[in-house]
Amino acid sequence: MIPLKQMELIRMGLRSLVVYPMRTVLTMLGVVFGVGSVIAMLALGAGAERELLEEIGRLGIQNIIINSVKPEEPDNASQRRNWISSYGITFKDHRQIVDTIPGIEKALPVHVSKKTVWRGSKRVEATLYAVTPEHLDMFQLNTSIGRNLTHLDDEKLSRVCVVRSGLLKELGIYQDPIGFPLNIDKETYYIVGVLEEDSFLGYARKALSVDAKSSEIYVPYSSSLRRHGTRSITRRSGSSEATDVELNQVVISVTDLDQVLLTARMLGSLLERNHPEKDYELVVPLEVLSQRQKTQQVFNIALVAIASISLLVGGIGIANIMLATVTERTKEIGVRRALGARRGHIIAQFLTETTTISTIGGAIGVLMGIGLVKVLTFFTGWSAAITLSSVVLSLSISMAVGIISGIYPARRAAGLDPIAALRHG
Amino acid sequence: MNAPIISLQGVHKYYGDHEPRLHVLRGIDLDVAEGEYVSITGTSGSGKSTLLNLLGCLDNTSEGAYLLAGKDVSCYSDDDLSKIRNEDIGFIFQSFNLIPQLTVFENVQVPLLYGSRSIADTTDLCYQVIEAVGLSERIEHRPTQLSGGECQRVAIARALINDPVLLLADEPTGNLDTSTGEEVLSLIENLHRQGRSVVMITHDPDVADRAQRRVDLRDGVIVEAGAS
Ligand SMILES: Nc1ncnc2c1ncn2[C@@H]1O[C@H](COP(=O)(O)OP(=O)(O)O)[C@@H](O)[C@H]1O
Ligand SMILES: [Mg+2]
Repeated sequence: MIPLKQMELIRMGLRSLVVYPMRTVLTMLGVVFGVGSVIAMLALGAGAERELLEEIGRLGIQNIIINSVKPEEPDNASQRRNWISSYGITFKDHRQIVDTIPGIEKALPVHVSKKTVWRGSKRVEATLYAVTPEHLDMFQLNTSIGRNLTHLDDEKLSRVCVVRSGLLKELGIYQDPIGFPLNIDKETYYIVGVLEEDSFLGYARKALSVDAKSSEIYVPYSSSLRRHGTRSITRRSGSSEATDVELNQVVISVTDLDQVLLTARMLGSLLERNHPEKDYELVVPLEVLSQRQKTQQVFNIALVAIASISLLVGGIGIANIMLATVTERTKEIGVRRALGARRGHIIAQFLTETTTISTIGGAIGVLMGIGLVKVLTFFTGWSAAITLSSVVLSLSISMAVGIISGIYPARRAAGLDPIAALRHG
Repeated sequence: MNAPIISLQGVHKYYGDHEPRLHVLRGIDLDVAEGEYVSITGTSGSGKSTLLNLLGCLDNTSEGAYLLAGKDVSCYSDDDLSKIRNEDIGFIFQSFNLIPQLTVFENVQVPLLYGSRSIADTTDLCYQVIEAVGLSERIEHRPTQLSGGECQRVAIARALINDPVLLLADEPTGNLDTSTGEEVLSLIENLHRQGRSVVMITHDPDVADRAQRRVDLRDGVIVEAGAS
């Protein structure tokens, strides 16, 4: 019985919103845009965070990656022709790591080199990754056609390779690629598998030193070492440059997740001792992830703070127009008081109006935010995730905005002297 | 002998907090018996509306006591006074004072929103009072779509919905032509015949004379013009 009366009160209270639709719409605009931007900001923030997780998670948070880094050369060095520069992680480092650092499950060696791959008259620059079979598993490099590299390939020093489909296109191979011979640096490798269509993203690409522009070719580590050695020669504008890097990369998998940071510290001090020239880089995905998440959170808070300012402005807008409405409806308030409305009734009426305006505005804002996110992701390729909690949050905030912005106008209305209100206009 | 429903004792009303104050009512003594029909006349600005607002518990006296059904209204809280206005008093104004965004039916319902009875139980009653003022055909109309006479009939229906013992009318025919005014008056007189006390302000002597008792407000005091 009482709920019905409340319903009726609300229904009649809301009549003025319907009677002046334009004003109602203008009143709610602030909240619409405020909530719309909150939704969009939260979605973009969540999307960025998810992408970060995917990106860095792909590296494996239990892993530590050591990359060889070419040290800054002295100026005159580049002028010397046919100079062999050697730097980076050595086999000795690798052995020391395996022998002296506890809690390491695997320490996978990787050798990376730029190679020219040719087939008939077609020449393509590619990056040769000499890896162990575990490496392919660890980074989910799965084949869609054919098979992956195996331990047997490694033992037998087989000349087999797994390639990206992009390379096949570049070389103009359109028939079944399995068993196809590829000429790599005077050696012939046979394709045994083609990797799935996916690629490392952003940070993961950098951490694994995967080149976005040239296709990857994965060959058994031992085969490459035996057949190509560790030296590589790059020709650059007339001069040729030889580098000797024993290991471009070592991927270390730590047994216990809790020990990752400790292991990283131990690795760091070992390498620091062996390489005072700092020709290496230590990548700890776990650390990077937590740093990035922290940055992202700060960024999210900033985004939401900015969006909240527009919500605040929206609330002020409602309060402002409601105050004008109170003046305009002074007579009505007087009449209602004469007919028996208590101050509480008048307050409830105005709060209902403002809360309805802001909640409907909030709902429209949610839809607008979703639309905005769709448009943004479509045109920019950003990733976004609209979460239920962000929708619930925005709707509750807009409801609160309605109540808060209604309090002052409602109290003003209820405080009017009934007589003065009745005599008004 | 029943106690009067209204009893004003030495009532003064002035506006403004400091001198020179506008001293509108200067010592009013007035009793209205239950079921009595009293008209109040007086020149414009003589304080008729001020007096009626006091009677309707919309305003407080500056001095003197107002006993409503034997109780001093100054004892009541603001919410109590709202309740009294809602249940015991029906107001009819010169300018109708309907709520423009509501329909005829909803305007009549407004006092119910603030009372204790449920809306569902009173739907039939709304139809009845609207029928009683002859507006059954106009239920879904808004005040702007009605003539002045019709508006005043809606206002009467609204004043009746909670079956008050006291009707207060402030120049109810003031904005109406003679024939529609006549209709409205006969409605009000009907309500008096049903046993309600009626206090009606008017500046039309002919209208005033139709009341059981006519009082004149002059220089802030009541001058009895005798019974009719
Ligand atoms: N709320 C108020 N504040 C100040 N003066 C008022 C107020 N209400 C009425 N008055 C003044 O009191 C006098 C009586 O007004 P009113 O009772 O409306 O007279 P009537 O209804 O007889 O024409 C007028 O001079 C009016 O201006
Ligand atoms: Mg008057």
